[in-house]
Amino acid sequence: MSEAQPRYGMVVDLNRCVGCQTCAIACKHANDTPPGMQWRRVLDVERGTYPDVERLFLVTGCQHCAEPPCVPVCPTGATRQRADGLVTMDYDTCIGCGYCAVACPYQARTIAHDTSWYYGEPTAQEAHVAHGERDGVANKCTFCVERVDEAAALGRIPGVDLEYTPACAASCIAQALHFGDFADPESNVSRLARDNASFQMHAELGTDPQIRYLYDVPNATPGREAEAADTGDAAMANPENPLVGERQAFWDARAAMNFTLGGLSGGLMAIAGLAAAFGMLGADALVDAYLVAAALMALGLFFVFLEIGRKLRFLYVLLRPQTSWMTRETYAVAAIYPALALDVVWPHPVLHAIVALAGAAFLYCQAQILFAGKGIPAWRAPSIPWLIGATGLLEGAGLLAFLMKVMDTGEARGAAWAIIVLSVVSGVLWHRYRRTAADRGIGPLARAELDAVAPVVTIFGHAAPALLCLIGIAISGPMSSWAIGLGGILAIAGGALWKFTVITRACHQQGFAIPMMPTRGSGTRAAPARLEPI
Amino acid sequence: MAGTTPRIAEKKKVPVYCYQCVAGPDLLKVEVEDGIATRIESNYDIADRHPGGGRVCVKAYGLIQKTYNPNRVSRPMKRTNPKKGRDEDPGFVPISWDEALDIVAAKMREIREQGVLDEQGLPRLATSFGGGGTPTQYMGTFPAFMSAWGPIDQGFGGGQGVKCYHSEHLYGELWHRAFIVSPDTPYTNYVINCGNNVEASGGVAGVWRQADARVRGLKRVQVEPHLSITGALSAEWLPIKPKTDAAFLFALIHRILIERDWREVCDVSFISNDTTSPYLVGPNGYYLRDPETEKPLILDLSDGRAKPFDADIAEPALEGTHRASGIEMGPDGAVWTHEEAEARPAFQLLLDHVSDFTPEWAEAQCDVPAERIRRVADEYLAHAMVGETIEIEGKTLPFRPVAVMLGKGVNNGWGGYQTCWARTLLAALVGALEVPGGTLGTAVKLNRPAYDRHLTVRSKGDGIMDYPFNPTTRDEWTAKPHIRNAYKTLVPLAADSAWSPALGPAHLPWLFQKKPPESWPEQAKPAMWINYRTNPAISSWNAPEVAERIAEFPFTVSFAYTRDETNHMADILLPEATDLESLQLIQIGSTKFTEQFWKHQGWAVRQPVADPVVDCRDITEIATELARRVGILEAYNAAINRGAAGARLADDKAGYDFSLDATRPHTVEEVWDAVAKAASHTLTDGAEVHGIDWFRENGFMLRPFPQLDWYLYPTLKEQGLRFEMPYQERLMRHGAELAERLHEIGIDWWDRQLEEYEPLPGYKPFPDIWANYASEVGKDPDAYPLWALTARSMQYSWGANVGIPLINEVANNISGHKGVIVNRATGRKLGIGDGDPVVIESPTGVTRGRAVLREGIRPDTVLMIGQFDHWATPFAKDLGLASLNSVTSLSLSLTDATGSGADLARVRLSRDTGRR
Repeated sequence: MSEAQPRYGMVVDLNRCVGCQTCAIACKHANDTPPGMQWRRVLDVERGTYPDVERLFLVTGCQHCAEPPCVPVCPTGATRQRADGLVTMDYDTCIGCGYCAVACPYQARTIAHDTSWYYGEPTAQEAHVAHGERDGVANKCTFCVERVDEAAALGRIPGVDLEYTPACAASCIAQALHFGDFADPESNVSRLARDNASFQMHAELGTDPQIRYLYDVPNATPGREAEAADTGDAAMANPENPLVGERQAFWDARAAMNFTLGGLSGGLMAIAGLAAAFGMLGADALVDAYLVAAALMALGLFFVFLEIGRKLRFLYVLLRPQTSWMTRETYAVAAIYPALALDVVWPHPVLHAIVALAGAAFLYCQAQILFAGKGIPAWRAPSIPWLIGATGLLEGAGLLAFLMKVMDTGEARGAAWAIIVLSVVSGVLWHRYRRTAADRGIGPLARAELDAVAPVVTIFGHAAPALLCLIGIAISGPMSSWAIGLGGILAIAGGALWKFTVITRACHQQGFAIPMMPTRGSGTRAAPARLEPI
Repeated sequence: MAGTTPRIAEKKKVPVYCYQCVAGPDLLKVEVEDGIATRIESNYDIADRHPGGGRVCVKAYGLIQKTYNPNRVSRPMKRTNPKKGRDEDPGFVPISWDEALDIVAAKMREIREQGVLDEQGLPRLATSFGGGGTPTQYMGTFPAFMSAWGPIDQGFGGGQGVKCYHSEHLYGELWHRAFIVSPDTPYTNYVINCGNNVEASGGVAGVWRQADARVRGLKRVQVEPHLSITGALSAEWLPIKPKTDAAFLFALIHRILIERDWREVCDVSFISNDTTSPYLVGPNGYYLRDPETEKPLILDLSDGRAKPFDADIAEPALEGTHRASGIEMGPDGAVWTHEEAEARPAFQLLLDHVSDFTPEWAEAQCDVPAERIRRVADEYLAHAMVGETIEIEGKTLPFRPVAVMLGKGVNNGWGGYQTCWARTLLAALVGALEVPGGTLGTAVKLNRPAYDRHLTVRSKGDGIMDYPFNPTTRDEWTAKPHIRNAYKTLVPLAADSAWSPALGPAHLPWLFQKKPPESWPEQAKPAMWINYRTNPAISSWNAPEVAERIAEFPFTVSFAYTRDETNHMADILLPEATDLESLQLIQIGSTKFTEQFWKHQGWAVRQPVADPVVDCRDITEIATELARRVGILEAYNAAINRGAAGARLADDKAGYDFSLDATRPHTVEEVWDAVAKAASHTLTDGAEVHGIDWFRENGFMLRPFPQLDWYLYPTLKEQGLRFEMPYQERLMRHGAELAERLHEIGIDWWDRQLEEYEPLPGYKPFPDIWANYASEVGKDPDAYPLWALTARSMQYSWGANVGIPLINEVANNISGHKGVIVNRATGRKLGIGDGDPVVIESPTGVTRGRAVLREGIRPDTVLMIGQFDHWATPFAKDLGLASLNSVTSLSLSLTDATGSGADLARVRLSRDTGRR
């Protein structure tokens, strides 16, 4: 009975696009976006070296992926995928945490934290069309969803009836942008995709983006195979290259503080709980360690609170435990603090265990949170969750060793052994992370950031703690616990250094790719001769 | 949500047109909420009839911010500081409209009392408008005011610079009624494009049609020093040395005529019967003519006799040297009578002429490898499909799907004649001129009538189209310039239409105002100068110097949108209602500039869309009020009635009379209501008569326009006329006469220009003209090793868009909008990194910006897109963008025979150590 469910998407013809920016500006009109925010952006890309050069204009924006990485990460459910494929935004639910933005490999999402106007002060028109509800929350292309919905209500066809077509496609002066229903085999976009060679951007990431790029030139330039845009290190090390991803700015030092303090505190809870279970730590000392960890965790969470765009809505973060590791992280928090409170007034092994397990869960969530940032190659590397986990435990052990020294709770040899083992594990993971960085798609700019801190991380964050702990174990007397404690502090510092680096420095976005360049250009890039009339 | 009230259909959308650039008009709708213009979209109502799918381009979307720009001049202003100059604060103070109009009208009355012409016979009132005729689409009835006023000097260039294709306009109209030349893009399969950035300058119709053609299979070879937007979309880019395009094109001709067998590859029938190729040329270089009829002769190989061109000729001779009798008609009535003299067909002279232009020779001139030149020529021939036909609207026409396009920098200034000639000849050789798939003209501006280029196809003899040359004979030559740029005196090709002042040497008044050349009177400055939608203090060659000249004008009235570099020198600022605030009807459709080839024609409206933002007035109201106060109201109304607002308001033959009562002022609505009725009556032969309210509601009105009218060839055939190719006998005669005239009054500073009047244009090392210019101003040419060029910015060009931040935001996505494009290797050599501040110095100017390093540009070339370097225009003055106009020079030696300079300079580039 019901009509077939549409599946909306776009076809972009690279041979038609002239980079005029009409789609970009029409989108700004249709969607009233503030200064600097472009849901539809057209890049000006060059390839090659004079005199063998090609130039091309690349339409970018939300790809309304069939497998959108932005949707599962959202902790509030503000961003969702509809049955017709549109990935939507609910501005009233979004807290502006930026998680979707770092998860998107297409740089499609932005957050404007501060209201701005084109001429400084709002004009009458700007004031009239301003969307206060979009301040401080994630913004992105909606495929002009209201037009699509109205079309459905009126029996119009988006992509055919221009008033009911997304503004970019409707405005395109080269007929380079086509919107339509991929589920309908006879639709405009289905026919274009079927009759022409096309590619999906970053298809290897498994997002199944719903923008298909046509690159072939029928008849015009036979004889030369289409090639990919230059993604060699030389090209991708140039920050002016529009294909190169910029550093993400959604998660800054405040987020890094949470990963540092959160990893440390979650790790401490887990390690201390473990130490107590094996009788290496007394109940009082354990609760003291838990309290220190809880305080640090709270501080880290406070930094994250400062980061989000809509602070008063922070509790919405609890809304998506089904998919979001950020929500799950808060659930771990929700378990930790009541349990610890009870544990303080009524210490009990069960409560000890709950805190320890919840702390470990918190750490696990953090590892998954960063790993799900699929838009940032340095974050989505497979080593990342292991590295976060191991480092958190290392930091926890380090802090425990330090606390045991400060609180004078006896020998910290157990912690020292933990530091040694975890230093080695973390060191191996860190080394592996860096060694495989290029293969994992981490670009030269991000790798340079990692390279810059790598010796410090290895020497002071991994080697030195292990060495100091070995010394601490080997010697006895007061110097022993000092050595172990110092080793613990260095391990924490080393962890903080690489986390800050990965989160705020090596955090270049995916950037853009053109797996197939049209056959045109100069010198060796030129289309071959055509001595037959068409 | 499905089921809720649809909103899109209920939105109030007001139809208007956009004609900000010469590639318009395109139609749009403005969404209005609560009296505020909120958004813009294309007018989809015309999608199936507009050659660009009814879309508007990026510029139109700037109109909202243009309207609500807080930097607008919000009230009339009066200057209080009598001193003028860039460094002088004008001290503008607000005044009422009444006072402003009184001041202007009083000054005008004073001028009229003195006489509209000064002692030298020059108009005391001068006006400058922006380029391409686009201001006319916004200036309401101001043309009627000008008509009522009398003689006005419109020859002060409002800035050709980045905008003008110059040589193409003049030679294009001469050869095929093509003020603008365009490929027949929907049918063309192969295009050789020398630097025409059509994807940036061709407007919506250009982009739309070219994109369709690419997907259809059009192959385009782009020949230009930098990889433009258009180059990016071409199959092949040939990075040619600036200003050597003529060498490239000449070598293509050489390949076709000398290396290939032209009898086999060319359209011999077209050459023989549809061009002047077989005309015999006598010993003195003029056509050998029949003594009685004075008709040029053609040798008939079938009987060996020379016969008048229109006789029955079985086998016209194209080659060889023959003996024939006849007369030659030289300059100033000179007649040479020949008995059995040596005469050669013009085509033979062409073969001789191009014999030395080998691809190897060209390679040395232009850096394009000889084998590529040969290959392009061969591809061109392969695609010409000589002999094919196509049916258009039931008529069978030749089908020649090849074309050559020329860019602005190729066209304007020295070398323009050569490239225009070569392009037209390349079309003629394969019969691809004015036929489907080939090279077409769009509109006429110099020939008359302007509304139909087919009606301009007339002959006074010689079997070719007549052309309204400015006379050069002793009796008729205009020895005393009637306006300051002296186009009638110096440029026979400029003709004498309303457009001619702008197409003469429009930069010379600025140059001569500084220092007149020898035997040229020092001309009094205009007592009043009015400028409208133009900023010559930015948009001229050597813009800083032009700004100094503007400061010397005694009384300047500026129609002002925001403060800018030109109205900085004004005495009165009049904030006229801008694009979305005033009422006007214009004609649309038929064939217009660039690629506006329609299958319809009609009228479209522009109207106030929202509540007023500032205290501005509709220019029609201003014109009416000035006419009343100056005392020329009746003449003004009469001009409107005659058609100065676009349509004749009364026509006995057509049976309508909507004319205005000439004795009283009329409101803006009354004027355009009458125009609307006349327009709709004309469009429908009286079947449908609509007032302005109907247009305001519906936006436009159309009737079909035959596609056959895109092509001029059938019209020439009907009249038995030929294209005047390849030999330019008329130009040679005019050149000889003009030389005589000028020398008679002691002018020898135009001698270099006079050399250009060659019947078959020769090649000169054109780049040397610019390289050597440094010596002329006492500088070392070697100190300026780079070429500086410009390119059109689709986002900014025309329309005063430089002060609109939204335009800036999206334009910045395109390379070159944030700085000067420099080849990466050149940057490395000079120690310049991406984004570094740079200084660009020419022998006469300097400009600053930031480096944008790219690969798609010759290492010896730098490129500055658009026109910038603002110092007064709000927002724009903070952009820090370099401008070619600041480093180009105003000079006679850089001015060609048509009176144009070029957008070109020799420069040096260095890191700007004074800036971070």
